[in-house]
Amino acid sequence: MSARDDKIRQVVAELDAHVAEVEASVAALKALLASDEVPEEQEDPS
Amino acid sequence: MARELRKAARDSGEDVAAHHGLVRMIPQWERGNRAPRERYRLLYLKVFADALGSLPHGMDTVDFALRLAEVRSRAASLPGPGQIRAIEAAARAKPGQTMTPAEIRALAAEAIAHLHEVAGKLAELSALLGDDEVGGGKP
Repeated sequence: MSARDDKIRQVVAELDAHVAEVEASVAALKALLASDEVPEEQEDPS
Repeated sequence: MARELRKAARDSGEDVAAHHGLVRMIPQWERGNRAPRERYRLLYLKVFADALGSLPHGMDTVDFALRLAEVRSRAASLPGPGQIRAIEAAARAKPGQTMTPAEIRALAAEAIAHLHEVAGKLAELSALLGDDEVGGGKP
């Protein structure tokens, strides 16, 4: 495998990781907007 | 991408929609609003397989082209910095949050920082693949 192929694979892996980070952060922010549907205390009292 | 799809179709002796039609449909496909028909999916595969044509036979080019297309499509679907800031502002304005305003701000800043990295990686990838446009990136 050439250095270029390695580089392409590396960049795609890094791109994938950054996209996943943005998706996760945006999902967390959106969850905060929807959070009033969830009761504050959900833990089992037992 | 429209030019690439048209070229792939021409090389295969197929017809595709007019250029302006492709230009209108491609963003809808990339945002996931509409699924491309099979022949367009095959043309996408051909475009990415051709872009990676110099890869060694040992590499699973089709799988890799699919992964590349999937990652690019996800990148194109991400909200822009302005949209992330708007979500952040709405989340901070909402009472009874489980996170402090500073934590919400930090979360949005992290998302935007990664978004900038995404744009950089898309440009780097386009340069490596010899694209004539920065492929489907944000923002």
